[in-house]
Order: sequence, then structure tokens, then C-alpha cells
Amino acid sequence: MTTVDRAAAAPPVRDHSAKRRWVGQSIRRVEDPKFLLGRGGYIADRITPGTLQAAVLRSPHPHARILRIETAQALAAPGVHAVITGADAAKLCNPMPDFGPDPARHTWRCLAADKVRYVGEGVAVVVADSRYLAEDALELIEVEYEPLPAVVDPERALADGAPLVHEALESNCAYERTFDFGDVERDFAEAEVIVRDRLRWHRSGGQPLETVGAIAEYDPGTGSFTIDTNTLSFTSYLFMAANTLKVPANKLDIRPVPAGGSFGSKLFANKPAVIAAMCSRATGRKVAYLEDRVDNISNCDHHGSDRIYNVELAMMRDGTMRGIKIDVVDDYGAYIQFGVGHHGNALAQVVGPYMIGSVRYQVRAALTNKNQQGAYRGFGSEVNNWMLEQMVDKAARELGLDPVAIRRKNFIREFPHFIPTGNVYDSGDYDRVLDKALELADYSGWRAEQKRLREEEGRYIGIGLISAQERSVFSATEFWFWFDEPGAPVTSTPESVSLKVDATGGITAILYSCAFWGNSPETMVAQFVAEEFDCSPYDVSIVYHGSRDGLPATGPGGSRTTVMLAGAVEGAAGKIKEKARRAAAHLLEIDPDDVEWSDGGFQVKGDPERKKSLAEIAIALHLFKHSFPADMESGLDESKVFDHPYTTMPSADRKDLGVFYPFMGHACHVPVVEVDIETGAVTFLHYAAVHDCGTLVNPRSLAGHIVGGTAQGIGTALYEEFVYDDDGQLLSSSFLDYLIPSAMEVPELTIGHVETPSPYTPHGVKGGGEGGRMMAPAAINAAVNDALFPLGIRLTELPMTPERILSALRAAGPAAGGAG
Amino acid sequence: MSTLAPTTCTISLTVNGRPHVAEVEPRRLLVDFLREDLGLTGTHIGCEHGVCGTCTVLLNGASIRSCVTFAVQADGAEISTVEGLARGGEMHPLQDEFSEKQGLQCGYCTPGMLMRACEILAENPDPTPAQVRSAIASNLCRCTGYQFITEAVIGAAARMRATKEVTS
Amino acid sequence: MKPPPFSYAAPTTLAEAVGLLTEHAEAEPRVLAGGQSLIPLMNFRLAKPGYLIDLRNVAGLSGIRREGDILVIGAMTRLSELERSPEVAVAAPLLAEAVGLVAHTPVRNSGTIGGSLAHADPAAELPAVALASDADLVAAGPAGTRRIGAAEFFTGPFSTALAPDEILTEIRLPVWSGGHAFVEFSRIHANFAVVGVAALIDLDGDRIRRAALALTGVAPTAIRATAAEAVLVGADAADPAGIKAAAAEAAGAAVEGLTPAGDLHASPRTRLGLARTYLRRGIDLATSRARNER
Repeated sequence: MTTVDRAAAAPPVRDHSAKRRWVGQSIRRVEDPKFLLGRGGYIADRITPGTLQAAVLRSPHPHARILRIETAQALAAPGVHAVITGADAAKLCNPMPDFGPDPARHTWRCLAADKVRYVGEGVAVVVADSRYLAEDALELIEVEYEPLPAVVDPERALADGAPLVHEALESNCAYERTFDFGDVERDFAEAEVIVRDRLRWHRSGGQPLETVGAIAEYDPGTGSFTIDTNTLSFTSYLFMAANTLKVPANKLDIRPVPAGGSFGSKLFANKPAVIAAMCSRATGRKVAYLEDRVDNISNCDHHGSDRIYNVELAMMRDGTMRGIKIDVVDDYGAYIQFGVGHHGNALAQVVGPYMIGSVRYQVRAALTNKNQQGAYRGFGSEVNNWMLEQMVDKAARELGLDPVAIRRKNFIREFPHFIPTGNVYDSGDYDRVLDKALELADYSGWRAEQKRLREEEGRYIGIGLISAQERSVFSATEFWFWFDEPGAPVTSTPESVSLKVDATGGITAILYSCAFWGNSPETMVAQFVAEEFDCSPYDVSIVYHGSRDGLPATGPGGSRTTVMLAGAVEGAAGKIKEKARRAAAHLLEIDPDDVEWSDGGFQVKGDPERKKSLAEIAIALHLFKHSFPADMESGLDESKVFDHPYTTMPSADRKDLGVFYPFMGHACHVPVVEVDIETGAVTFLHYAAVHDCGTLVNPRSLAGHIVGGTAQGIGTALYEEFVYDDDGQLLSSSFLDYLIPSAMEVPELTIGHVETPSPYTPHGVKGGGEGGRMMAPAAINAAVNDALFPLGIRLTELPMTPERILSALRAAGPAAGGAG
Repeated sequence: MSTLAPTTCTISLTVNGRPHVAEVEPRRLLVDFLREDLGLTGTHIGCEHGVCGTCTVLLNGASIRSCVTFAVQADGAEISTVEGLARGGEMHPLQDEFSEKQGLQCGYCTPGMLMRACEILAENPDPTPAQVRSAIASNLCRCTGYQFITEAVIGAAARMRATKEVTS
Repeated sequence: MKPPPFSYAAPTTLAEAVGLLTEHAEAEPRVLAGGQSLIPLMNFRLAKPGYLIDLRNVAGLSGIRREGDILVIGAMTRLSELERSPEVAVAAPLLAEAVGLVAHTPVRNSGTIGGSLAHADPAAELPAVALASDADLVAAGPAGTRRIGAAEFFTGPFSTALAPDEILTEIRLPVWSGGHAFVEFSRIHANFAVVGVAALIDLDGDRIRRAALALTGVAPTAIRATAAEAVLVGADAADPAGIKAAAAEAAGAAVEGLTPAGDLHASPRTRLGLARTYLRRGIDLATSRARNER
């Protein structure tokens, strides 16, 4: 794309009003009362008497053929209504919806039919009067397996002769491609220093306290399924789930209920809904399937990224970054439902906040005998942040440069800025964020303290400083720009809102697929509506609409909710106001151009005495048709289907991926840690975090996400890992071993906000919900490495468990001290 | 595996001040009894192995994990759940402070956290933030990172002390 | 994760409880104390007792009393009661400190000292306290009661010297003069310990007269480190360098010959290293407390 094309393709630059009444206020969330009263209405709360319950029998083997399943005894057990095996399910249902590269050959079903491919994969489901009775019956199912060799290490999976996870694919490499952006060869030829490293990021996952669940009812009278679930997204794509259930798309209605957390793991997680629906049709009854914790850990289909990086960073001696070569192997597990979209997230901000001119990105997706990856807060971009910041710190050490100075030297300072991949950073001020972080962190104070504690007490204190990006609002192109000839080059990721003004002037906002995950969509919408109509946000009624007869919507993910809801509300409000203007003008007997919106109604310009409030306009439109011209319909409700406001197409040669993630936030995290070299324990002495997500709608709410995201980042950095042993057994199969940080592992954060508005969005908002987790692992790794630098130790593998830290200390020899 | 037919036991207990008599299977978990038999769905299930604390309720004023407690073990006891906190349409200071300080995001851990907070403040009406943080380590939260929860409990403690001074 | 079915009784006397254990022996009966170890296992369906005998209503099984220089604790005494007890704080501060490290308050409100000891988790705190304190465990069976020394009580992972028809009724802890310390390493605060150390140090003037050390997390049961104790006897508590050296030597002696199992949290080598570290820290803390006591 040329510069001219790029300018033409950008949305118009907006003026943002300086006067905002509700946007920017840390109001109490409108969602809260029901949750505080214990009336949250989560999926498990909605099970009515007479609903049957399902339980899934999971494979104990990482890789095995299913030779025989005997279900007669289970079927005869008390309270059992049905037992459905994977073979049965393959007749009742088509494969699961799958955005992977080759679904026909890495076929994914709701239950394994001929072969199990990971410990925990479902092989049968029992439907009974209660979950207790269903689990009793599970124990009566006899399965004869023929164990097969398991493949667990992704590099070995890619090597010749590895056991094949999917024979039909004839390889464990589900996808492989090398992309070159900019002039990589030149930058590397001209570089004075090449900094190299190998880095390993192990998989962790969202693990919200509420698992995925669905209540399904099949109505044979209409041939329709109605499913309540805590995982509704991408409504326009639900025809795929309907196809799985072998019904037409307009015979499937999926209705959202509040979710007890998601962090990505409830994004398009349709397997429980499919299982519940299949069971409902088989039994003729309403069926609930609620994952329990072991189901979720082993079989959720939402493990996070699991990567091996080999990286080269081309530098000049003065610290200028020229180019980067990234070779990444990503262990996707046994299926690959979202393709390599996680790498699209990386490519959106692959050069971080730096003026790196060229990128080579070689990605290989390996299949192994593990649960598949899904979505986890950051969706792969947090891993790139970590890798890049590790390289920057390594470069600083090798070149003898200060970690702050090397970053400043390379900061992007002019916006909008197009990075080598073609994506754009819409706005930013990285110096300002860094300055504020250094101040809040008392950086120079801690550097002095670090030195003192080392010299006087022999303690190992480390300060991590990272500056990194947090992209928001993904485009559909990142699903398919991986292929030169994609099967489905989709370009829609809309979000819709309907606004209805009733005869009393009360406003109802209808959300479609924009599920509540803890991310406050109701409060966001209420604040936007209040801003538009000068009402109280607590007077706005919010309704969630099901998929079948709802408007198209995508739901939360990629920090898109705030921007997309802002656009949808703005659009719908604009239409309401346009009709209300005409109506008011008619009632005031004046030309529509002579009225203006002011303080809750339309008034004659400059004459507040001659005004019609929204309520007056609304009641007239609802009840007094004959007061209006023939072409004006009764009522006052309008909808907006808000499409992604800034997407451009990739070039045919894929040297330019176009704009696909334009609203670019940024943050700086500065943790101070102490490493106990006798035990490998890492404790926090201080933690400062400054984020810039554009204009903030509810600053307190964003701060809450920063802390929560950072807590998950602490988990990823130090505690959380889905551990599979060399035989493919899942060792961390419960909360006893999958370690979630408690209040004692998470420090109090000192939080700062910077706001550089987006030029392209309503109010200049950007997304920010993922940010904490996108920064913390990089920052904590940097801090630990800073602490252990005097011992010559640098950790390049997450999580940095005590075992890994102590192993590194032992390997460094007696000089490193170490335990014992 | 036992082939004994399921039998039931009669239990009598008080829940949020209201007496109940019920027939339950011995294996019925207290959390399921509260949620399904009594319709009190405010108490949630997070793990069913006694680690996360989502299912926390009070038994005779002491916090317990109802997912690793049988209903029969609550025979004769007084159980308090989140549904009993608000009185006459008015929220408990803890509930109100959680809203004021944004001590919740998804709300799933919140009922258990609130009940634990009741116990914390009953034992120590004037805790420091560090004491609160240490005490709530019993209850996992995946959303908030605990900071605003701590602030909410401190805020509630102050309000409850002030009310007590006024009424005493 | 729902537990499998079982028959249930909540007897009111010890004799009744013992009788039920005998009567329903073929149903694989188990005693239910607080349930905080047993019920999770049942939810995972790793334990499937056919009969549960709930001790909650049996009179006389809980309480704390002093018999001369023995602290007698009923097996059904809740851990939270031990934590708050002024008698335990004075007579068995090692127990008080260890109890404070057992999981979290909600678990301690239900969990009992008898339940924890009878469960005999190799990584649990209280077996180490019993060993270090030379406690006697009192069991009641059809033939009457008997005393089992802590050294004989723990026979393997999750297994004790209790016969299938016996119930632990009482723990008898000799009162220890001197200093105590219970220290442990866990990855998440109050989560299961990777290794733990119970240390008791008694001084005669400035010299260590008696030491008792026990470890968890490094063997199939909690173990007593008698070789390490021997190293410490006679050491001069007033000599910081001397104590440090003695503690290090004792720590080395304690782990000599141990072959702990590894798991995803710690390899055998790391466990041994942590054991040495926590032995040193425990000895140091107990010794300084012993000096402050005088």
C-alpha cells in the first residue's frame, strides 16, 4: 500500500469533545447489585427442576485407539436416561466448528470417535437425573483402549518419524510459513551486532472460577434447539454450530447468561453447548452440561500459547534496533480451532513500541497429544511482548547500555505509525508513559536500594522495566491472511446495539452476543448512553439478546468491547436523535435545522424555553401518530450494526498485511522483586504500572483490569502451567497443582493512567482489558533476570518456578550460592 | 465399589435464620443442598476440591468450604450465606463497599469472599490492609487481583465500627 | 466431581463408633472427622468408603487439658480451636505455629488434629509436630485403648498403625521447655508444603541440651532426624558462627540417605536442598527463641 492509499483508507480523524459528563467517570458499575445479592443468574443457577444432567467420561490415555466401549451396565444404572459414545456422537453430530487450516484432516468432534488424542478428551457422555447419578454411571462404562505412542514435545512432533496426532494430515505440522516484512536482508547485513536467544513460554490458561456450561432444549415440534450458555460469541458464525447439530442455522438459538469470568476461555467455546444439545435431542428432555474443574482443566479447549522462540535482533552499537528474525514453534495440542490467529495478534505489534524496520516471522504450528489452544488474555501478543522485551534487555546488557536509554532511543514518536507488517499504531506517547512509570516506581530510589541491599545484606533485588503494546479491536482478516488463497476471506466483525426509548422516555439498550464476562459491558453501554442522552446510567435498562433473531455481533475478545460498543451506541443514538429531531421540530412547528440537542431534549437554537424533552418526544411518537407526517413511523427505537471502523486488506504477496488491529494502547510495568536464592521464591517489593488505553470510560474499572490482568501475568510468570509429563500424562489436573495466585502472591499495584486518545474512535477510546497480562510476564522475567545478573544467570523459560530458578543457580556453580 | 442402596438422613438446620428440615443422601454436598434443595444459588462452585473458596459459607459463624462438607455435617447448625446479608432491602456495608470500591468484576467469587470478610471483621473489626490481604488469601479471585477487594473490606470495617459507635 | 454413595451413621458414643467399624468392616468403613482431607478425595472418587462413621456427635473426643507436663488434646478438636487456645500457645507453641500453617482458616474451622494425623499425608505439618514432640497417640478399638508412640504411628504414605477397627481418640504431647520453630516452603501461601521442618531446641545455659527435629515432604512419612539432633547437642547457642556451622552440619546429616520422590513442583534434588535450607532456618529460629525464653 502506498502512503496515499493508507491515508485514504484511514477513517476520518475525529474531534473529541472536551466536555464529557459520564465518560471518564469511575461510577459504580450498574451490573453489581445482582451479583452482590447472590442473584447473578449464572448458568448453574438456571437449572430448573426436571432438567437432566450430563457427565463426560474422559480418556486416561494421551493417545490411544478406542477399540470397544461397553455401555449396557451404565445405561441400566439408576436415574440414567442415555449413554452416548463418541461413535454415536459422530452419527448424531457433524464435527465441531473449526477455523483451523485443514479441518477435514484434523477433524475435531465433541467426543472422540475412533481415537483419543489427549488425556481428558471425552469418549462418552451419560445423561441422568442428577450429576451424582451421571458420575456413578460413568464408572460403569468399560472402554478398551489400544495405547499408542504419545508425542509431547513440539520440536519432536515436527521431526521425522514422530507419532502422528492426525494420520490424515500426514504430519504434525498443521501450518508453516515464513513472512518477510521490510528489508530483512539489508538490515541484518548492515547490523553491527546480532543478539540471539532461545526462549520458552509454557502454556497456562484463563481458568476462571466458573467453568463452561450449557442448558439445552430440543423442541421436536419446531425442530429447534434453544441453548442457554455462558459462552456466546461470533453470532454470525453460529451457522457452523448449527451444522454441527445438523439443523438449519435458523433453528438454533443460543442465549447468553452472565459468565463467572472468561479471560478468553469462554470465547466460542461451543463444545458443552453441542454436547448438551445432542443429549437433549437424544433424550427428549432439557439437559444441562456443566464442566467440573477437572473437565475444564483437561478438556476446555482453551489452553494458552506454548512457544519455543529462536530470535535474532539486529542492532547497531549505539542501540538502534534495525531488524528482527523470529522463528517460533507453537505447540497447539491435538486440534487447532483458531488456526494461527494467535500469531496475527503477535504481528499486530511485533516490533513493540520500537522503530524496528524489518521483520522475518517464521511460524510452525505443531500438533501434540495435549488439549488444544484457545484464547487467553493477550491471545498470543503477550508472548511476543515478553520475547521482544527479553531481547531488548539482552541487547542492553551486551552493548553495555542502560535499559531505559535503549528503549527511548528506539521509541516511535510520530503517529499514526505503520509498522513493517502493515498494521498501524493510531496514537501514543511512549515517553510520557515511561516518565510516569519511572516516577511512580521511584526507579532511581530502587536502583540505589538494590545496590545497597546487595552490598550490605547479600540480597538479590531486581527491577524489571518493560515498555510494550496492547492492541485492541481485531479484524477478521487476521483469520485468513495466513493463506494466499484462503477458503473464506471473511471481513466482518460487527457489534450491534439497539436502543429503544419507551413512552416514558426510559431507555433500553439491547446487546447482542456481547456477553458479560466480568468486563462491564452494561456499565460501558450505560455510560455511553448517558453521555448521549443526558440521563443517569442507572436509569438505562440493559437486555441481552439471543443469537437467532438478534443482530450480528462478535462479543468480547481482543479488547474490542469498549470501542465497538461505543461505535454501536453512537450509531444507534445518532439515528434516534435524527428521528427525535424531526419529531421535535414538527411538534415545535419549526424547521429541523433550527433545533439542537441540549440537556436531554431538542430545543429551538438559542431558545431553551421552546424545547421538547426526550420523554415528550417519545410519548408523542408512541401514542400520537396523527401528530406527525405520514412517513414518520410510530415508536422511537433504532439499531446500529457497527462494523470494524478501520480494516484494510492484505496485499496479494502478503508483504503487507494491511491494517487489522489499529487502536494501539501501550504500557510500562516496573516491578521490583527479591529472589531468595536458597529457595527460588520470588517476592514483590513494589510494582508500578502505567497504561495508556486512550480515553478512559471508567478509570476505576480499567484499573481493576490492570490489577487483575497483572495477577494473571504473575501466575503465568511464576506459578501457572499445564504440565504434561514425557508420557503425555497431565500432572496439573486440579487446583492442587495448577497454582492460581492468592492475595499473598499479588502485590499492591501503584497504577498510573495516561490518555492519548485514538483519532478514530468515539471519545478517543481504545480497548484495555487485556493489558495487565500483556505486560506482567515480560516485566517479571526482566526483574528476576536483573536480580540474578550478578550471578551470571538469565532465565528464558516461563513460568520461573522455584525448580527452574534453583536449577539455574546450581548450573551456575558454587559462585551462585544456591540452596543447601 | 459399594452396592449399598442410597439411604437418606433427616437433617435440621437453620439457614439465614430460617429453620429447615430435610431428607438428604449422606453424600449430598452442603453446597448442592443449599443451591438446589433450598434454591439459594448465591453460593457458587469453583473447584469441588476445597482449594478456591468460592463455596464459602458460615457455619455457626465460622467460615467453611461447602463443597467439601456434607449436608449431614451441618445438622443442627446455623448456616449463613450471601442471601442473608442484605436486610430489608438494604445492602450490608460489605456489599455496598464492594460496589463502591469495585471489588468485583465477574462476581463469581464474591459471595464466598463476602462471607469470609464477615468472619474476618467479626474476629478483628479494625484490621490493617496487610491483615486483610493475608486473611482473604483463603479465597481465590481470578478477576480483581485482590486490591480493590482489600480496599472494600477496609472501607466496610470503618463503616461498621462507626455504626457500632453510634448505636452503642 | 460428586462423591460416590455411602452409608452413614453419626453415633453419640465412642463404643458405638468402634462397634460400627467392626460391624460394617466389609463395607470398607472410614471415620469422618472434619472431612477436609477425606471429602476432596471422595469428590475425586479416589476414596470410596462404603460406610462413613461421623464422629461429630461423639462426646468426649474434643478438648484441651493439661495432665502435669503432658498436653492432652481430643482427636476431634478443631484446628482453629488449637490455633486460638492459650493453653496450646503456652504448652505446645510448636503445635500452635504448625497449625497456623495448615491451609486456611475455613479448612481449620472444620479440620481436626485427629483427622490430620490419621490421614498421614507425607507433606502434612502435624505428623512432623507429633514426631518432634515424641507424642503418644491414643487409639480405641474393640479390645480397649492403647497408646502408640508417634515414632511407630506413621507407617507409610497415608497409612498409620491404626487397625481398621480403631479410632484415634487423643493426642498426648509432652510439654517442651525451650524454643520451637515450624517452618515450611510452599509455592502458594498456605498451600501444601513442599517441605516442612519442626524444630525444638532446649538449652542448658548457652549449650544445646536437647534437640528434636522432624521433616515432612522428603520421605514416605514425616521423619525424625535423630542423626541431625546428635550433631546439635552441645553446640554453643551464644556463638553465631558456631551455631550456623552446627546447623549446616545437622542439615546435611538429616538429609543423608534420603531419596524423596519428585513431582511437578520439586525434583528430589530440590527437595533435599529445600530441606537443608529449612532445617538451618528452623534450627536458627528455635535456638534464638530458646535464648529469648530464658
